[in-house]
Amino acid sequence: MNRFGRQVTLYAVSGLLVSVWAFPVLWAFLTSFKTERDVLAYPPMFFFTPTLSNYKEVLFGTSSILPNLWSSLVVTCSATFFTLCLAIPAAYALARLRYPFRRASGFYILATQMLPPVGLVIPYYLTLQRFGWLDTYSGLVIIYLTFSLPFAIWLLVSYFEDIPYEMEEAALLDRAGRWRALWFIVLPQVGGGIAVTTVFVFLNAWNEFMFAVVLGGNRVRPVTVAMFNFISVEQTQWAKVAAGSMVAMAPVILLGLLAQRHIVKGLTVGAVKGGGRR
Amino acid sequence: MGLNKSNVEDQERRFALILFLPSFLLLLLITTAPLVFLAWNSLQKLDLGMPWISGFAGFGNYVKMGEDPRFWNSLGLTFLYTSSTVVLQILIGLSLALLVLQIPRGQAIMRIAAILPIVLAPVVVGLFWRTLVLAPDFGLVDLVTRALGLGNYNWLGDPQLALISVIAIHTWQWTPFAFLVLLATLATLPPDVFEAARLDRANAWQRFWHITLPLIRPAIVMVIILRTMTALSAFAAIFAATGGGPGTSTEILNLYAYRTSFTELNIGYGSALAIVLLAITMLVSWTLFRHRRKGST
Repeated sequence: MNRFGRQVTLYAVSGLLVSVWAFPVLWAFLTSFKTERDVLAYPPMFFFTPTLSNYKEVLFGTSSILPNLWSSLVVTCSATFFTLCLAIPAAYALARLRYPFRRASGFYILATQMLPPVGLVIPYYLTLQRFGWLDTYSGLVIIYLTFSLPFAIWLLVSYFEDIPYEMEEAALLDRAGRWRALWFIVLPQVGGGIAVTTVFVFLNAWNEFMFAVVLGGNRVRPVTVAMFNFISVEQTQWAKVAAGSMVAMAPVILLGLLAQRHIVKGLTVGAVKGGGRR
Repeated sequence: MGLNKSNVEDQERRFALILFLPSFLLLLLITTAPLVFLAWNSLQKLDLGMPWISGFAGFGNYVKMGEDPRFWNSLGLTFLYTSSTVVLQILIGLSLALLVLQIPRGQAIMRIAAILPIVLAPVVVGLFWRTLVLAPDFGLVDLVTRALGLGNYNWLGDPQLALISVIAIHTWQWTPFAFLVLLATLATLPPDVFEAARLDRANAWQRFWHITLPLIRPAIVMVIILRTMTALSAFAAIFAATGGGPGTSTEILNLYAYRTSFTELNIGYGSALAIVLLAITMLVSWTLFRHRRKGST
């Protein structure tokens, strides 16, 4: 086979495989603009008169998902905020400072990240029920911290380790004090890392489902749970399900594309070092 | 400057503990304490549907598993689901990464397409597949099989097809992860090694087997570790697509523990099942990590 033929084959095969990933999402996007009748047309329609009625229905209709978007936003933003407040100092200590049991405690944090969620949701259900905290924002935010905090600490450690020691040392010699060195010298340098961490913590919290379905309820019902309920109520209304999914997933799709250059790092956090830290 | 060494060390230690302890103590409280509570519950007879029979059960819940066919079924499914999805992800992801690496232009588009499944919530992925992709007659897959004259299938209604379907869904969502990580790793390999091998007349397969594979082995092991953890606690996509059914044909251990606890309200037995899943997760991750450390030295 000549070089040109080889190139064409390469493009064809990889293009096919990649479209397997993109197509269902694009198909859902198209479907969200169809009338329910066009959805079930055979052969399937690629060209049709688009309608916004599905979006109008899922946003402002009787089963509007706006309250659910609000729930998701409150839970996700609170969880992200608390995670960062706790994770930034902890990650700095873990990456930079000497203190007893540093390695062991770092490994402990990594291990908490690997817990199967079902093992947590059962005791949380019983405990929150006893305190009357089911179906509250506080309950969900606390359990969201169980996965976002270890993740954020380990992701941030990798960014703290990337910055050079010299500037901190200079600041310390100037008797600037450790707090000032951390705040004025170190943090500005990991701004990018903190941004990436924020994106991933937000993304994971937004997409969470099991905790939300068990510990949420009528008042606090994140959008992932609303989507799930949607399908059981409106079995055949695919266009509406598609429109709802598009709205629910728009934030994470946007954030994912925004952070695409960092996604490999975000996905492999911990595992790179976890096996044997220096 | 009047500061002696031990003073500086003391100061550093105090500073470190102020920064680190809040997170550490909080994690003890919100992850480890609940696990102790879970273990305690697994020793109880605790059924929210029948609260009057509550009481200490010792290892009764664990003994019960021995003769519970649904438990052994879920254990087998967990093994099948985890191993097949991880193997498929590595095989497809690696092949695709090797292909795309040779493409001079257009890699960016493929990377964007690969990110889409990863960022979607698994529950939404389950819903997409249940409706648009796998629904009988009008789903994308059936549209293709009908067009090819292969007939239509009840992908999520037939026990065997349903198992294949949930494996396909998980593979679809997470293969991009293997692809992206391996592509990034492959791109960092030094080209002169391959040049030398080519001059030595090693063919493409020999170059892959003797040079590429050993070089990317750590990355592959890392992907295996992370993907195994995800597969062991896969939930939302299966829950949305089949709910563990039909019957118990897609009920992996994670779903069984969930259904026992929150559908049948048998919290005691559900806790014991969750403890078994936890033990399996820890055993697997420990084995894999040890394997990796051995391989890297």
